[in-house]
Amino acid sequence: MSDYPKNSLNLPFITTEKVGTEEFILNMGPQHPSTHGVCRLILKMDGEVIVDLVPIVGYLHRALEKIAENRTYLQFIPYTDRIDYVSAMLCNHGLCMAVEKLAEIEVPQRAEYIRVIMDELNRIASHLVWLGTFALDLGAITPFLYCFREREMILDLIEMTCGQRMTFNYMRVGGVSRDLPGEFIPKAREFVKYFKPRVDEYEAILTQNPIFLGRTKGVGILDQKTAIDYSVTGPNLRATGLKWYLRKEEPYSVYDKFEFDIPTGTKSDTWDRYMVRIQEMRQANRIVEQALESIPEGDIKAKTKAVFKPPKGEAYTRVESTRGEMGFYVVSEGDTMPYRLKLRTASFSNLAVLPEMVRGWKIADLVVIFASLDVIMPDVDR
Amino acid sequence: MPVKDKKRMTKEEILKAFQDKFPGKIGEIPFVGVDAAFKVDKGLILEVCRFAKETQELSFDLLACMTCIDYADHMEVVYNLFSFNQRHKIVIKTSISRDGELDSMTLVWKAANWHEREIAELFGLTFKNHPDPRPILLPEDWDEGFPMRKDWEGKDFVRLPKK
Repeated sequence: MSDYPKNSLNLPFITTEKVGTEEFILNMGPQHPSTHGVCRLILKMDGEVIVDLVPIVGYLHRALEKIAENRTYLQFIPYTDRIDYVSAMLCNHGLCMAVEKLAEIEVPQRAEYIRVIMDELNRIASHLVWLGTFALDLGAITPFLYCFREREMILDLIEMTCGQRMTFNYMRVGGVSRDLPGEFIPKAREFVKYFKPRVDEYEAILTQNPIFLGRTKGVGILDQKTAIDYSVTGPNLRATGLKWYLRKEEPYSVYDKFEFDIPTGTKSDTWDRYMVRIQEMRQANRIVEQALESIPEGDIKAKTKAVFKPPKGEAYTRVESTRGEMGFYVVSEGDTMPYRLKLRTASFSNLAVLPEMVRGWKIADLVVIFASLDVIMPDVDR
Repeated sequence: MPVKDKKRMTKEEILKAFQDKFPGKIGEIPFVGVDAAFKVDKGLILEVCRFAKETQELSFDLLACMTCIDYADHMEVVYNLFSFNQRHKIVIKTSISRDGELDSMTLVWKAANWHEREIAELFGLTFKNHPDPRPILLPEDWDEGFPMRKDWEGKDFVRLPKK
């Protein structure tokens, strides 16, 4: 007590009594720039350190599963665009694949190649959005501008094909809705060539930047056991060192025809999650390159009946979405509409693990850890 | 960690592993896209799931998906499991009455926490020993029942006629 400064000015609000501390509750969101959507985090803080965290979700709940029971399979495809609007192609693909499996529809090779090209282009675009906003959360504005420059080119390519930039509604049960336009392949080749050195450019700004390293190395470690326990999938799981890639180990579509590596991390910290996504962009670019070289001619859609009714049965299929495993569980009673459609989205599980990762970290790290999980709110709430 | 050259278990082998442990309790069902699918009694579900996760040769460490289906007279809770080690996936189902109570799976997989909260909120099931049984997706002031039930009537909800 004696080393407290004397209240020499005799101001009423300066006290010489011992000041205590106590834990307090801090509310973050639902509207907060770092939550990338509408997510509310309630934090229990000890000074600047996070003691516990409770995520409150559901602000974007649109009851997509209920809507699905009231729409035909074809009518529901545009809704899948709204599950994860940053990588809508992969959601399209997931639903179509589930229904095709159930109805045993053979998809023409050309359609599969087009799907893969679109998926991977979309994956790059989605990772670019992530990288840009992730860097923005760290206070770096330049990567954001770079990323959106390249993303614009991808969106142009996709727009050329299906007429949409965000909500594509491009894939159909049995194929895709229209063929690639004539100028697509040369333009896409040009992009693939252009994009390769661009990734180096992002890395030049971030990867070895001391400020970036200070903010990400060793921050927000998610060990493998916890990750699997919480059903975390996708880049977040691969960053823990697990070499598991749905496209490789359980290839769907025509992924078995391409050569690509599985990027994994070692320390499962925020930097690893960043690096895995950077590598994934390179790999996706590689797949697009190969697919453009080997795309066959032929039909783009299998013949399906105008009134499409899959047989009675149940199917669960999953695709490797940008954020992890995206599952579609279809229950058909032999009707035009699904009896039940469950959407298993990656972000839902990836967000659930957040409290485990942030305990003991400061609030400024929470922003970085949260951003590194690449959670997208409509994907959580459905 | 994953062994690539190891042969994956066949459907018969997976089913046999469960049948040996729970004789006469495993009822095989058809399901597209998984290695094996079966139904068990709801009283056994926690034991079966624990067995699925903790047995070395099965080691279903990932609860890939968990959901509920409403069949007018009863509900079915479905667990989609996957093993990173063995690379096989199964579906376990259990029937439950529409207002029934089921053991919470949070002790086996933490991922079940949010899935169960969602099911409880949308379908009206109860999970025994759930550590955090708060609603999750619907608005805080929601008082219109359980919307994912087939007989749910909402203010603006119009069911399309079946064709």
